[in-house]
Amino acid sequence: MKAEPKRARFQSSILPHLDRLVALASRWAAGSEAEDYVQETYIRAWSAFDQLRDAGASFPWLCQILRTVIGERRRTRARRQQLVFVTELEAAHEEIVASDAASPLDDLLARLDAERLRDALRSIPEEFAEAVELHDMHGLRYREIAQVTSVPIGTVMSRISRGRRLLAGLLAVTEEAEATRGGGDTKESRCGIIPLDATSPGLRMKRNCDD
Amino acid sequence: MTEAAPEHALLQELVAAFADGELPPEEAGVVEEHLRGCARCQRELALQQGVSRALAPGPARGASAALRLRVEQMGPPAPRRYAFLRNRSWAAAAAAALVAIGITGGSALLARRGQTSRPIAEIALLRDAVADCRRAMTRNFPRKADLQAVREGLEFPVRALDRPGAELFSTWKTTLAGSPAAGLAYRWRGIVVVQYVVPAEIVRQQPAVGTALRRKGFYAASERGQGIVAVLTDGSGTLLVGDAPPEELRSLTL
Repeated sequence: MKAEPKRARFQSSILPHLDRLVALASRWAAGSEAEDYVQETYIRAWSAFDQLRDAGASFPWLCQILRTVIGERRRTRARRQQLVFVTELEAAHEEIVASDAASPLDDLLARLDAERLRDALRSIPEEFAEAVELHDMHGLRYREIAQVTSVPIGTVMSRISRGRRLLAGLLAVTEEAEATRGGGDTKESRCGIIPLDATSPGLRMKRNCDD
Repeated sequence: MTEAAPEHALLQELVAAFADGELPPEEAGVVEEHLRGCARCQRELALQQGVSRALAPGPARGASAALRLRVEQMGPPAPRRYAFLRNRSWAAAAAAALVAIGITGGSALLARRGQTSRPIAEIALLRDAVADCRRAMTRNFPRKADLQAVREGLEFPVRALDRPGAELFSTWKTTLAGSPAAGLAYRWRGIVVVQYVVPAEIVRQQPAVGTALRRKGFYAASERGQGIVAVLTDGSGTLLVGDAPPEELRSLTL
């Protein structure tokens, strides 16, 4: 059987992922910049296409290349906002799930909002945010994320679990900080973080200078 | 808190994977059994599911029409169909002529263009350069473009290309055909071109490459859409590898 030409194989296995890859690139940049990353990813994918052994694994393979491209292009540009205290967020999460009363968890679940969660993703450490985003927002399986990020699948499992816990903890402490601010008290919250900008509707946080 | 059993520490890590359907059946069974009697892990499960559900993607903006077009046109140009070959008599005559010209005639034509028909895989320097280039393309270009650092320890001059529009973004050291080499990656006209600099002698020793250099002053080849050009410059040999016809790559060295 004559082998299908490279261009045809490329178009059938790689091109269908274009929209998904642009959506993923939008994680780091907007508009034309995201498309620049994707274009370079496709250029490299074309060059290395012979190395792709399993056409079914083409999307994680593209994600891996995109990640490399963005790592090179954005070496001096930090995506992270000011990071919050991980241990404090874990404590907030612990308080929610450890409570026998239903209300803390129910309150939190009722407040879960995609926009706020996506904003919160920028405030937790990159490795957790990336794993959660690749799974929950881009539909990759754990083994695919392991391939993209070059870590064992057990690490992926742990990062996703912990990442979601941090997000829940961050929403909880933010609510608390906002409630405190609404009450006219601008002092630090229980978790040692305060809103960066009292007028900001987002979740930008900074370390408390008193710590 | 009544369920503070030691197994929480282990099972809590598995709850997310359970919620995502990522556990093998036997482990999923263990977690499921534990969940029946553990309110705390049930809350953890609800939290993991809630966050995951809230983050689930809505309609996203897709690729622009311009990007889609650029990507669809990627790769070497589709083979041209010569109109005269559609005529059977012309095709027969052309075939006969090609047979008459034979291999020697074809080789002479390639040699005149500085090209060779010898497979790249048979030429150690080119094979290693293409493999190194593909590795860098898919895995990782070093983040720094530091010419000074890449020159250190090399006993041959390493000069970067100096052509308008060629933006150097990465440098690294590697080994090609058993010889130390410098790799320099550029963005140029929407593609990535990699320049390998090696001792001139190494380039001259390569079969077919040395011959082309002596006859025409450069070597050019292409394989599966990837162009390769070799030239000698100031005591070094330079190889250019990129997804462009070799004639275009060569313009970077002129």
